[in-house]
Amino acid sequence: MQNRARTDLLSKAPLWLALLFLAIFVLLPMLQLAGQTCFGPDGFTLRAWSALFDDEAIATQVAATLQLGGAATALSLLLGGGHAWLTTRTDLPGGGWLGPLGIAPLVVPPIFVAMGFADLFPAEGFWPCAILLGVAHAPFVAVLAARGLRAVDGRAYEAALLLRGRARAERWLLRAIAPELLAGCLLAFLFTVADHGVPEFLTVKGKTWHTYAEGIFGRWTRRAVGTTFEELQSPIVAALPFLACLGCLLWAALRLRAAAPDRGVVTALPVRRLGPWRWPALLLPLGYLLAGVGLPVFVLLRWVLGSAQRLEPMSLDYARQSFQKAIDQGLPDLLHSVWLAIAVALLVVLLAVPLARQSGRRWPLLDLVAALPAAVPAILLGIALIRSFHDGPVLQRFGDRFDQSWAFAACAYAARFLPFAALTLASQVRRLPLAAEEAGRFVLRPPASRALRLHVLPLLPAVWSAWVLTFVLALRELDLAVVLPAANATAVRRLANAVHFQHEDWSGVIALLLLSVAVLVPLVPALLFGRRLSSLS
Amino acid sequence: MSLSVTVADLRVQRPGFTLGPLSFAVPAGGRLAIVGPSGCGTTTLLRCLAGLDRASAGTIRVGDRIVADAHTHAAPDRRGLQLVFQDGALWPHMTAAAHLTFAAPGLSRDAAVALLARGGLQAHADKKPAQLSGGEAQRLGLLRALAPDPSVLLLDEPLRSVDVHQRDAMVLLLRTLADERKLTTILVTHDRDEALALATDLVVLHEGQLVEQGPALRLLQQPACAFTAAFLLGASCLPTTTSAAGVATPFGTFARPSGELGDLRLVILPGELRAEAAPGSGPTARVLTVAPGKAGFTLRLALGDHLVSAHCDTALPIGSTAHVALTTAPRLLPWQRRATPATVQP
Repeated sequence: MQNRARTDLLSKAPLWLALLFLAIFVLLPMLQLAGQTCFGPDGFTLRAWSALFDDEAIATQVAATLQLGGAATALSLLLGGGHAWLTTRTDLPGGGWLGPLGIAPLVVPPIFVAMGFADLFPAEGFWPCAILLGVAHAPFVAVLAARGLRAVDGRAYEAALLLRGRARAERWLLRAIAPELLAGCLLAFLFTVADHGVPEFLTVKGKTWHTYAEGIFGRWTRRAVGTTFEELQSPIVAALPFLACLGCLLWAALRLRAAAPDRGVVTALPVRRLGPWRWPALLLPLGYLLAGVGLPVFVLLRWVLGSAQRLEPMSLDYARQSFQKAIDQGLPDLLHSVWLAIAVALLVVLLAVPLARQSGRRWPLLDLVAALPAAVPAILLGIALIRSFHDGPVLQRFGDRFDQSWAFAACAYAARFLPFAALTLASQVRRLPLAAEEAGRFVLRPPASRALRLHVLPLLPAVWSAWVLTFVLALRELDLAVVLPAANATAVRRLANAVHFQHEDWSGVIALLLLSVAVLVPLVPALLFGRRLSSLS
Repeated sequence: MSLSVTVADLRVQRPGFTLGPLSFAVPAGGRLAIVGPSGCGTTTLLRCLAGLDRASAGTIRVGDRIVADAHTHAAPDRRGLQLVFQDGALWPHMTAAAHLTFAAPGLSRDAAVALLARGGLQAHADKKPAQLSGGEAQRLGLLRALAPDPSVLLLDEPLRSVDVHQRDAMVLLLRTLADERKLTTILVTHDRDEALALATDLVVLHEGQLVEQGPALRLLQQPACAFTAAFLLGASCLPTTTSAAGVATPFGTFARPSGELGDLRLVILPGELRAEAAPGSGPTARVLTVAPGKAGFTLRLALGDHLVSAHCDTALPIGSTAHVALTTAPRLLPWQRRATPATVQP
């Protein structure tokens, strides 16, 4: 009996470790930040709090952020929703290929999209920023909307069609996929309003307005040159209600996603004939992929060939020089990024599996806890982590230099990306038949063996998808790389700086290599083991 | 080695549903079917026996060992029993042979393939569940449960997902394998034919209560309540009204059976009703279907709000009115009788 208790305890250990990680790297830092800014010796009084909302700069930043979020999400809905509808429901030429490619723009860091836009068009002001963030975050809508459309039972649609006619049936269909569509829009909104790197990048190119994440970071960087404590804290304090709103939105997105029934094996929706619009309709998915992937890659290729320097025409000779410079100056950064992304993705899936199992089977509310970091703008999460581990009363015990270390950066990245892996896996856990797991309870083997063979092995395809997703997101992360000292040397961070100093040539090479790595990682197993690429989306 | 199973005063309380108290016993090597309509609590009872759910009160013994009571709840793998799930509940990522070798530590692949051969699955040893038909998957579920050589086999509607044509083969396989091992089997089903094919004793549940239990033959020949007759024999149970004059039924007023005080029904078994086109003393009914029988025709009739079947020498037109009459003495039984718990020592 004692042995059994011990093995039971051991089988729970991964879950407790994952919860401990969440507590140390998400909950405690955020609580400490909130505590310090609200209740500490230098904390804000209620009067100071209310005074904050009279601050015109903050009000302007909040309004600009919300407008940016709204505009970018509307574009994401148009592009992502349109792409999903055309490739899933219609006889669009090449729809089978274009469908899985809907996720492709997620591979391209938004900063690269911004670079591409800024290089070809005048990227000043609100609308260019909204357009490129809308393009960069459209994959969330595209993937979830396509999934919603695939989950609708075609027979039910046909029943609606026979009873109420085409227009009503389409309205019924829209209502059926509304949870997935809304969840995709909320994620796009969340990522847009939390983004710091892209609006900050466009500032250099002549932007005259600022978002909230920029405000937080702006105050934070002034710390080094001695601004008053209250000034430093004001955007962080005012970020708390903002954060609460984002948390509510995230919760709503998760609930909506969970409310969408998993209908199992269903009859596919009948294909809609586009008739004379069949070929012209290709413009939308192609335009979406062109803006999200083609345009940044085109600009990067131009940079490699020497478009940024005006002295000589573009040439392959110049490209060779660019590659040489990249190897000399940027290769260590790229390797640093790749190793960091590999470590982060490994750590994330190790933590996400027990969390997903628990939330998928027993504590559905754990989804919200695991998803919390997604609601926190990366820049704020980074600041909270630095403050907690640098001078926090509890976490400082990790050591003076821990917050400068590579391990700290890996943990911070893992905290940031844990939600995506945990939610992906939890959704897969819910899809596995419960009875099959119950059948495992009769097997006369130790719990660890049963857990490995019956709980983890069936999850492997989803674990792989989660690993790839985390790897790609870690590779393209800019906001955390800006704040964390150990992540300053990542390729994306270096690129964002390098282009400001006319190093577009070798920056382009590094960026292309980075994209190649991000594409090859899911592609190689697909080629080797015949896995369907669509399973990643 | 087979073991007995004893259930004493088992109760399960769930929001909006109460099961029990139930008491019954299955001797070692016995075959019991727990039957009842959907929602009557059969699956809940089976899950409690298996250890997948906890009962609110009562005792479950397997052999001499208490596996569940107020203080004990043995895990499913510690009860010495195995469960055959409704739809197989197979592990989607494992091959058929791997199902058996994983379920029974120490079982070699050759032994697993030999066991698969007993179920006609030797050619599918390396296939995964998605590549098996419904019947094959169910057979694999059965073989997986038998692989560790359990003392007691629990079956949750094992024939539900099996094609009608494969049912006999599955019944034969199940009976052969269980008899060879002298297994104690407890089956849960909503299907009368499935219960009668696989069990010798029956427990009839209705709305969470045990209404009747005993040998299947006795229950079929002498059902003690109308519900059992309806469920097991397909009897039509017509409502009655009781007055001082007796019990009024559509076929006339009869004397109340002595000792019966509950809600009585007129129980008409198939073949106990005769239909005629010519007017008689009995009530009238509308002809719904006509099917040829051994001698004459079998009619399905709407008698008021109730469906009855009757024998007729000629094929009456569908939609016509028939006059029906009882061919046997009227059988008045209470709708549901709370069964006296079997004498079971906890």
